Amino acid sequence: MPEMQHEILHLSNVSRNFGGLRALRDVSISVSKGEVLGLIGPNGAGKTTLVNTVCGVTPASAGVVTFDGRDITRVKTYQAARLGLSRTFQIVQPFAEFSALDNVAAAALFSQPGESWKSARLEARTHLAFVGLEAQADQCAATLTLAMRKRLELAKALAMKPKLLFLDEVNAGLNSIEVERATKLIHQLAARGITIVMIEHLMKVVLNVCTRIAVLHNGELIADGAPRDVIKNQAVVDAYLGQQYAQRNAARG
Amino acid sequence: MLAVQVLINALVLGCLYACIAIGFSLVWGVLNVINLIHGSFIVLGAYLAWGAYQWAHISPWYALLFAAPLFFGFGYLLQRLLLNRVISAPVLVTLTLTFGLDLILNNAMIYYFKADYRKLTLSPPTGSISLFDVVVPVDRLIATASALALTGLLYLLLRRSKVGRAIVAVRLDRDAAVLMGVDVKSIYAVAFGLGAALAGCAGVLMALIFPISPLTSSAYLGKAFVVCVLGGLGSVSGALAGGLLLALVEGIGSVYLGPAHATTLSFVLLIVFLVARPQGLLGRKGFE
Repeated sequence: MPEMQHEILHLSNVSRNFGGLRALRDVSISVSKGEVLGLIGPNGAGKTTLVNTVCGVTPASAGVVTFDGRDITRVKTYQAARLGLSRTFQIVQPFAEFSALDNVAAAALFSQPGESWKSARLEARTHLAFVGLEAQADQCAATLTLAMRKRLELAKALAMKPKLLFLDEVNAGLNSIEVERATKLIHQLAARGITIVMIEHLMKVVLNVCTRIAVLHNGELIADGAPRDVIKNQAVVDAYLGQQYAQRNAARG
Repeated sequence: MLAVQVLINALVLGCLYACIAIGFSLVWGVLNVINLIHGSFIVLGAYLAWGAYQWAHISPWYALLFAAPLFFGFGYLLQRLLLNRVISAPVLVTLTLTFGLDLILNNAMIYYFKADYRKLTLSPPTGSISLFDVVVPVDRLIATASALALTGLLYLLLRRSKVGRAIVAVRLDRDAAVLMGVDVKSIYAVAFGLGAALAGCAGVLMALIFPISPLTSSAYLGKAFVVCVLGGLGSVSGALAGGLLLALVEGIGSVYLGPAHATTLSFVLLIVFLVARPQGLLGRKGFE
């Protein structure tokens, strides 16, 4: 199948245990190049654990993870970053005492071989401009607003020249104007050909940008497919979306 | 005129103190390891300078050039092979390990070099510069300039180079640095190696000024500790400020209270700082 050649990430039967808790159970999923996959599910479903497992923060207890044709199940976190796996955080964590520019430059410097501090700082400006933070370039990261820090996270992730970008709740805590702006940015990223896996609670955003949706519940993958089909899936409605959402959705056609 | 002489002496000695402390401060700040071998590294550096001059007639200025890589390698390996194994353990464990390593190194030096005090005397002597009534020995002046140069080099390295930026990043937020692709274990080893190299170089410079004996290691360690507390942990400028302050206090103390009380005064100051300003003069989180 031609589809298989374009696969960038593949998890087969991945499980992750924390003591007696099985945070991920036998999850098998594959992500194709250029896709924008929405990862949804109730709190504690294992979404962030799945991202952590791929990035090597909490390696899989069982199963195999391949990225770009390479087995990365046991790869260390810093190696995963250098391979082109980059992520933003639910809880934003810049180097508080670095300027916004230096934060982005650091991301470029450490993830790219042959980069110098000088060239990294030059490059960082373009990434800051892309997320609309050029005016704050020299501002200390700790003084940025939450919305700005979320955009800074995006710029940092971009500076790592990711092949696959995980976005962990980039819209959490933002107001509707800020969400709109962030959504536009995600569209632009996708247009650049970056494969995106996003954890998101706002269904409006998910349906707006995702080409595919996967649903986790209690560590298990309960649905995976086109957005329109997934939101009608009874198991997904029961576990996450709720009856009201389904009815409203049906009423809207 | 006495006041000016005291001030000049403090300036000269203060830079040397900063040089003694800066490697210690780097390791403490970045690795959160209180490196008790630091004093013995300094003494070993002094013996290196002494031996090179005594046996091969290599001047201490050239000894700096090979002391730096030698000590860097030594420190790097020590961290890679031993300290990295316990780095995530509570601070008492790493403290105990460096304490044990210090016992080994210090006693090895007593065994090989004996505990006699030795002196590196340059021949011909470099003499001294006198301006009005203020006298400064030239070798001391060059040692001070070298100490300042080493401090400046470290500052530039941390500020401009890839590895330096990684050291600062690890210091600020270890986990975030990892996610950007920093190999923390190797950065730890580089930081420890740099700390050792700075100690070794400081030792070479000390050999020109102070008598050399394994027994002096604890005095150096004590100075490094006091400088870090006074100046504030985690910055090159803090180490400089702390070094100058300590030298000034010691200088004033020895003139007006007598040399016997100079150290007393500096430790009283240490206690005052620990109580009143524990972050030191210029303490902050990022090491640069």
